[in-house]
Amino acid sequence: MALVVGGLACLHFLLHVGFGAGLAAPDLLTVGLLIAARELRTGWAAGLGFVFGLLEDALSVLAFGANALTMTVVGIAGARTRELFVGDSLLFVVSYFFIGKWLRDIVHWILVGEELRRPFVEQALLQGFTGAAYAALVGLVVLGVTGLSTER
Amino acid sequence: MAVLGGDSDIGGGRRQSLLSAVFVIAALALGALSQDAQQGVAGSLRSSVLRPFLALQEGLTLARTRAGDVDALMLRVDSLSAILTAQSLLVEENRTLRRLLELGERLGPRFRSATALRPGTPGSESIFLLDVGLRDGVDEGAPVISPDGLVGVVRDAGQATSVAMDWTHPDFRASAMTRGLEMYGIVENRRGAFREEDRLVLTGTAYNESIPDGTAVVTSGLGVYPRGIPIGTIDGVADYQGTWRKSYWLRPSVLPASVTHVLVPVGTPPEEGIAWPGPTTGSDSGEAVDTLVDSLQVVTPPPSGGPGGTG
Repeated sequence: MALVVGGLACLHFLLHVGFGAGLAAPDLLTVGLLIAARELRTGWAAGLGFVFGLLEDALSVLAFGANALTMTVVGIAGARTRELFVGDSLLFVVSYFFIGKWLRDIVHWILVGEELRRPFVEQALLQGFTGAAYAALVGLVVLGVTGLSTER
Repeated sequence: MAVLGGDSDIGGGRRQSLLSAVFVIAALALGALSQDAQQGVAGSLRSSVLRPFLALQEGLTLARTRAGDVDALMLRVDSLSAILTAQSLLVEENRTLRRLLELGERLGPRFRSATALRPGTPGSESIFLLDVGLRDGVDEGAPVISPDGLVGVVRDAGQATSVAMDWTHPDFRASAMTRGLEMYGIVENRRGAFREEDRLVLTGTAYNESIPDGTAVVTSGLGVYPRGIPIGTIDGVADYQGTWRKSYWLRPSVLPASVTHVLVPVGTPPEEGIAWPGPTTGSDSGEAVDTLVDSLQVVTPPPSGGPGGTG
């Protein structure tokens, strides 16, 4: 699992920073965090989210800390879902990644501050929806390819 | 593994909750750090863990630039040579006049070329990184310029890299004037419902004066930017503030997303601004000439202090 999550994180920065793919590349960092959060305990999932968010903050600069807090919250929420939902069905996996990624976008939109944030419709609804669908699809493929499971 | 498993046991659950709270507080504390401390953390991450990814983008950008169309590059060199030849007489004349008036050499700006890197991560939409920093003489507030005009401003300068924001950032402001008409105002970003609708606006111009569409707007030299850098051209009236001033839409000279190679002035800022190559108005016929002019003209100052010193 660590290898997969680490690989996703590397691939995320490779696509977004190295190749400058922007929105064309999925948010693999969130996908990786959501996969890890189903395996890790809450505190460790929060820690992983913090580290991932801090790495993104190093590149965003103006809303420093917003990504770290967002990813920490997503890590905690992802780990907490274990106590609420048990399953490995297609519906659950798709919903898990979709809601997780959308939550990440909405929390980040709130935290980034009024001056920097784009209109809610654009960022949270349109981009958020498509980004969440993209992440769900990619998450599904990653689980399928690696044989990992969201069920514990 | 200790990190795996549920949080159902009371002791472990409490520890995990405590650990979660620690990370949440740490994340909150990041936002409360001073800007210098934030830049310190961000800079150290950029120069360590993220360095390979940034270096890759830098390499790809350079490779893309080098693979550029040779014909287009030759056109730029030709037009550059023509401009430098035409100005050499003025440069010599200027040097002679300054000598007669017993004036010293005027210090103009020197420029460093830099590669603009787009992080492409959430929250970095109007931000780009430059591969030059304090050790290259780049300071905070230095304008970032492309051959077509003003791209943005250096927001934070690290030792080897800098963080800059382009004109799409809501904090962007530039003191500006119209070329020819000498009407002054402030250029700022006005956000649209979507990112693609972001536009530049020239605000604070006199109500009883009107600026025709197509008039070039350049930096006035009253703020951090040297005088004469193209920002855009007038593209209609945006709105009126009562009966005392008007705002105009601007068609930007530079589309930040397409910029990969920029110039950053280092050293003494020019007193009289930069003689920017190109037309005196932003007419369509002039735009074709603008695109041919490479930034090398401002990179290579003539012996008496640069193109800005002519006349």
